[in-house]
Amino acid sequence: MTDDVAAVQRLRDLDDEAFGLRYGADRFTVSVLANRLQYVVEHMCSGLLTNAFSLILRDWYDFAATVSGPPGEGYPMSSVSNSLAVFFGTMADGLRNTVEEFGPDELAPGDLLICNDPYRTGTHVNDVLFIRPVFHEGRLAAFVSLRAHQLDMGGVVPAGFSATKRDVYETGLVLAPQLLYRNDKPVRSTFNLIFDNARFGALLLPDIKTIHQNLKLGERLITESIERYGLPAFLGAIRYRCDVSAESMADALGTVPDGVYEGEEHIDCDGADDSVEYRVQVRISKVGRDIEIDLSGTSPQARTSINASVLDTKTAVGMALKLLLDPSTPFTSGTYRPVDIVLPPGTVASAVPPDGAVFLFWEGSGPVLLAIFRALASALGERAVAGDFGSLSIHNANGMLPNGMPWVTTAQCGGEHGPWGATRHGDADNYSVPYLANNLDPATEAIESDVPVVVLRKEYTADTAGAGTHRGGAAVLKDTLWLAPAEHWSSPLHTKRSSGFGVHGGRSGAAGAVWLFGKDACDVGGEGRLLGTEDAVYANAVPVAGVLDPETHVRDLEHGRYFYFASTPHWRTEPGAIFRYLTNGGGGWGDPRERDPEAVRRDVRDGYVTIEGAAHHYGVVVTGDPETDPEGVRIDADATARLRSVEGNVR
Amino acid sequence: MAEISGAIDSPAPAVHREQVEGACPRCGAHELRAYPVLSEGGWFQAVKCDRCLMSVRRTPWALLGPVQLTSTGLELE
Ligand SMILES: [Zn+2]
Repeated sequence: MTDDVAAVQRLRDLDDEAFGLRYGADRFTVSVLANRLQYVVEHMCSGLLTNAFSLILRDWYDFAATVSGPPGEGYPMSSVSNSLAVFFGTMADGLRNTVEEFGPDELAPGDLLICNDPYRTGTHVNDVLFIRPVFHEGRLAAFVSLRAHQLDMGGVVPAGFSATKRDVYETGLVLAPQLLYRNDKPVRSTFNLIFDNARFGALLLPDIKTIHQNLKLGERLITESIERYGLPAFLGAIRYRCDVSAESMADALGTVPDGVYEGEEHIDCDGADDSVEYRVQVRISKVGRDIEIDLSGTSPQARTSINASVLDTKTAVGMALKLLLDPSTPFTSGTYRPVDIVLPPGTVASAVPPDGAVFLFWEGSGPVLLAIFRALASALGERAVAGDFGSLSIHNANGMLPNGMPWVTTAQCGGEHGPWGATRHGDADNYSVPYLANNLDPATEAIESDVPVVVLRKEYTADTAGAGTHRGGAAVLKDTLWLAPAEHWSSPLHTKRSSGFGVHGGRSGAAGAVWLFGKDACDVGGEGRLLGTEDAVYANAVPVAGVLDPETHVRDLEHGRYFYFASTPHWRTEPGAIFRYLTNGGGGWGDPRERDPEAVRRDVRDGYVTIEGAAHHYGVVVTGDPETDPEGVRIDADATARLRSVEGNVR
Repeated sequence: MAEISGAIDSPAPAVHREQVEGACPRCGAHELRAYPVLSEGGWFQAVKCDRCLMSVRRTPWALLGPVQLTSTGLELE
């Protein structure tokens, strides 16, 4: 291995002549063009973000943009937007698969090519991949693409987000590679196909037109660059960016001890029944600057739409390695050069049609990322990263206003935002999207203006964060009060075990749950108070999901029983109903007894840890009352020293 | 893909690694195996050394690798 490492020709060691031969221009020009490629994707995204009507584009940033090279270069994807990883991770392969199936020779200037098939392009049918070929002197020079979530794509559930759809026929309309525009004129048959099948067409149409315009913007910016610097320099810049990623990932892999590492992660069950817990298994072989990740042993594909496709799993592998080992170099298709994925078809992480329904794809691919985090934790030692909140626990609801206007909410009112795990660098964030995503948090005002709902609580819950020298993120509790009759699909898929595992001696975060309260639980308007968070409130709640005490419905991971999320496949509620989502807690990093007592005191003051939790999980004795006098809480140093000195006192 | 649908009670799928004659040019091990991999550029049929992970051969495979579409096999003419 040592010899191989020495033999690697490093990019920074190329002399000017060798660099120019390889990349078609001098180092300075190629660097400028490489940054220009990044500018192009960000510019396309800004244009869509500021003009979108659909809530999921406007408020969630549920889209991504990329630039890829031409077929002759192997479709290298050089640049991805600073947005959704689950999208841009699939786009290099999705674009190649789409263009190759359609036929690159069939493309012409002014075309807009689309495909949304999860088995060809990853993610789910709502995420249409829009591809614009860029020509130079009559030949294909590049592609700009946008993958953007369409609020609806047909299928049995309005807006689509459900774990209960059984096959490809229920998940929605599949669009094989086809033209949406030719010569910048709409292809009516394609528009008809979409708009005769999809709901909320009035929102979709202007957004699709905006996507078309922003791809034209990207095409224009790239054409300008090619005309100014020449095609060899432009293609060289694309290759250079991919080579930098490849070298950087290989360097990072070189820092991991050689060995074979195994990890697994679970999904509670599918939407058919709760008889099967699904397992994602990874076996990682790492030698020198190469790595192989084998998912053999992963459960067969689920019977409903919680599966991921092959390209979603590829994304999860790439993101896991980037986050753990190589976070500071841009992600490109070159990231995978030292990475081989061994993936049997027909698993929950590689579903195949027509029965392997894919919709909540991140619930299948997120466990791949967490299993890799677990597998490499011991090898990485202090570089290990703890687990996050695991499941998006996505909430999808719809109804009709008294004036006949249909409304829909998606990914706004469930457990979509929550905590990350701690690292060697510090405590974890408490409120983000899962590791595999990268989005905005929709503003409460925007939610309440579009949907007949009031967001009552969005807050952290004490003693849910995994303890550690660095504390995991605290679980997020969200209450929503529904003002109109509604039907809901609720999909928490990771409550049987903690997803927020601790690392390097850190402890795991708590497991979350979801409850539904009737209008008698709390008269918010009349009494002017919120539904409480004390244990007593849960006895009369309907458990939606979680491991709970059968009588009190309070969380009890050790002795409780699992309540199945799809026992009622979709919930119908009357005005006054309240959904409560509690995410999982993030994992801690390092021994909790090593945590600075002052940091524990601050956590008590701020409500992340209770006084009891401080003693129990950290061995720190805090006095005072954080509710009535938060600045008055103090550390009892002597009592802390005594408590921490006895092995087994801190759990 | 009838063998996959509703196969929840069947064993977890696994990728078979076919033994291949010969020695690894990098580490000399007689542990070459043939199996498909997904990497930069898509799917490949690879022959790799089980000990040092060197790829002795890599041939581009079908665009979608082992995945068969619902419409796979559709004959129109
Ligand atoms: Zn070898």
